[in-house]
Amino acid sequence: MKRRAFIRDLALTGLALRFGPGLAAGQGPAPAGPLLLAAVEGESPAAITREAVAMLGGMKAFVGKGDRVVIKPNIGWDRTPEMAACTNPEVVKTLVELVLEAGAKKAVVIDNTINQARRCYVRSGIQEAVKQAGGDMLFVDDYRVKRTALNGTWIKAWEVVLDIIEADKIINVPIAKHHSLCRLTLGMKNWLGAIGGARNQLHQDIDKAVVDMAAFFRPRLTVLDAYRVLVRNGPQGGRISDTELVKTVVAGTDPVAVDAMGATLLGIAPRELPCLGLARERGLGEFELGKVRLEKRKI
Amino acid sequence: MGAHYAGEDDIGNTVHLFFHFDPLLALVTMVSARLLYGALVFALITVAATVLFGRVYCGWICPLGAVHQFSSFLFKKTRFLKPPRQDKASLAPKYYILIIVLAGALFGLDLAGYLDPISFLTRSFSVAVFPALAHAMSSLNGLLYGLGITGLARSISQGLENWMINVTFLQGLSVGLIFLAAIALNARKERFWCRYLCPTGALLGLLSRWNLFKLRIDDDKCIKCGLCTQHCETQAEPYPNEKWKSGECVYCQNCASICPTGAIRFPLSGRPEKLANVSNVDLSRRKLLLTTLLGLIAVPFFRLTPSRKRASLKLIRPPGSLAEDKFLAKCAKCGQCMRACPTNGLQPALTEAGPEGIYTPMLVPKVGYCEYYCSLCTQVCPTEAIKKLTIEEKNKLKIGTAWVNKSRCIPHVLGKPCIVCEEHCPVSPKAIKLVEVKTQLPDGSTAVQMAPVVDLKLCTGCGICENKCPVMDDPAIFVTSVGETRSATNQLLLDLSAGSDSQERFW
Repeated sequence: MKRRAFIRDLALTGLALRFGPGLAAGQGPAPAGPLLLAAVEGESPAAITREAVAMLGGMKAFVGKGDRVVIKPNIGWDRTPEMAACTNPEVVKTLVELVLEAGAKKAVVIDNTINQARRCYVRSGIQEAVKQAGGDMLFVDDYRVKRTALNGTWIKAWEVVLDIIEADKIINVPIAKHHSLCRLTLGMKNWLGAIGGARNQLHQDIDKAVVDMAAFFRPRLTVLDAYRVLVRNGPQGGRISDTELVKTVVAGTDPVAVDAMGATLLGIAPRELPCLGLARERGLGEFELGKVRLEKRKI
Repeated sequence: MGAHYAGEDDIGNTVHLFFHFDPLLALVTMVSARLLYGALVFALITVAATVLFGRVYCGWICPLGAVHQFSSFLFKKTRFLKPPRQDKASLAPKYYILIIVLAGALFGLDLAGYLDPISFLTRSFSVAVFPALAHAMSSLNGLLYGLGITGLARSISQGLENWMINVTFLQGLSVGLIFLAAIALNARKERFWCRYLCPTGALLGLLSRWNLFKLRIDDDKCIKCGLCTQHCETQAEPYPNEKWKSGECVYCQNCASICPTGAIRFPLSGRPEKLANVSNVDLSRRKLLLTTLLGLIAVPFFRLTPSRKRASLKLIRPPGSLAEDKFLAKCAKCGQCMRACPTNGLQPALTEAGPEGIYTPMLVPKVGYCEYYCSLCTQVCPTEAIKKLTIEEKNKLKIGTAWVNKSRCIPHVLGKPCIVCEEHCPVSPKAIKLVEVKTQLPDGSTAVQMAPVVDLKLCTGCGICENKCPVMDDPAIFVTSVGETRSATNQLLLDLSAGSDSQERFW
């Protein structure tokens, strides 16, 4: 490392440690221990993804040798990357690379899409990106969707994509977007793409549904793509003017904290999102960022 | 076979090009729609080939002919079909069918697609055969998973997803049964369809009398065994030589190859065939006139339908479709658009478009919606009944308008949250807006909830809202055809400020 870079990193880390958590929470110093959350801002989606995962101890902390890892991005819509309706393909590609570098046997990328699956996989750019990185894209197979006990507070059982829950490790890779019902769709809501059945009926009590899903799918790692985010006409947008560049990736082992950080990045206080409160009650994580061991960085 | 999404927005050249070589479709489309179009050039190639070489198109090119020949061959091998020494059955039906089709065309009625071999085959495959195969594969998958052969099952399921075979069709049963019947008829007579039904074959038969290669039997070699006539696929009667019918022969060369003494050849000959020898039909002027007259009288029957007075509620045509009368005059009912539609939304109509609209395409949003970034259906239409559009052009069109049924909508009735239609609305800004609505609940309390309303100006009628609505049986938001760009009369929003231009469509 060059001396200049070392000093810069040191200064940034110092600043982040001094102000980052304090500003977000305003209540005492963050607890000690390994980092639960890393938010990295920068020009390259791939570089900030790599950096964020590295800050959490590197992919080897989450993926073992020979693991079959499922990476679950949001590929719900037949939209190009610049519409910010699906996860940034660069972010997904980087994660596939990291997972395979960490010794995983397979990196499978799958989503139960809303528009026709093949169109979403192609137009989102994710199919090509995953192929380049050496991962596998899988379409959801009707025979591999089974009604499974979730034992949630509201949803006791639902149709679940088996390829996701049978994986050794799950990595959730949502994109931060505007949504008219939830206000935002972040990491926990991304699990609605891991289920089948009459998903459209969950909207009658969406926050409870989201938390029940999040309690069932326990990812090893959540990597929230907030590089280009949708700020209106969500969750699919349609015009570039519906999007804004935030150029940040948030990685974390606490899914509630990741969503809270995502909300903060989009200018919404975490406590305003009911699902985060419900999730904390269920013991899924912490949305008050001051209580979370986190680090922000700009590269 | 057929057109489907292969990962590109531009579908390129597909089976629809085959239609351009079909002279019957070209002729009927031109007459019924009263226009000339470029694809005619290709049809002229077939016409020229027939004039010069006879019905080689039927024997060597027509894919439906190949299907019939192959199934006839199987029926013969399995002895379901034992051809008689000589067949005297009249070959007239196909000529009468042709006359009725042509008479209809004079009145702007496009009947060619129902029995035209290319249309018939592609429709049958798009709407029935492929879907049935996909169903069978899917069932096989269930079995494979059950047996624990997951690797193979997974490959099949991923393959099916990639081939994008639509499996839900309203008329799958009728189209499928008609196709099966057409195949089964080969158990009665070899190439039954080609002999008795095919109007395209009839048209080509009439053109073939001048052809340069006529069957000749070498009398010195002929042992009068009759095998050639018995095994003639199309009842052209090679023996005796003077009975051979140029209009029926498809130049399959079976007679030449089956002849034990090699007495049959097709030498060059400039002499036109006698009209009486074209077929075994008496195409005398009296009968011809009568049939034509009957055809002409029958045409008005097709018009006794209210669909000509007022647009049909559920008749949502694919984007780029011509105005209804022009559309009906051009649509070949080939089913290529239904094969190309990535959501399975395009379905063959039965009654919705009147009697002449049977098997024409319509969007049924409950089955599938019009995908925002897709214009595949407009690229595969062989007769340009659906005008070719780019995705940008398509998204400027309305194919219908969505309506909220407030007496069924969850927020409107139950006072519970549901924004499913709004979140799926693909246009930006969204055509479905959420407004605060107060609902009186059965217990007397009042619920306040955000509920959908449609901005009619922004709605394109794509139907994804209806498709995704959680009210399963009768969606609380639904699309009807009103407001469709292609119609000058099926309109709702009066736009006087735009002046007369607003009535002018680019097609």
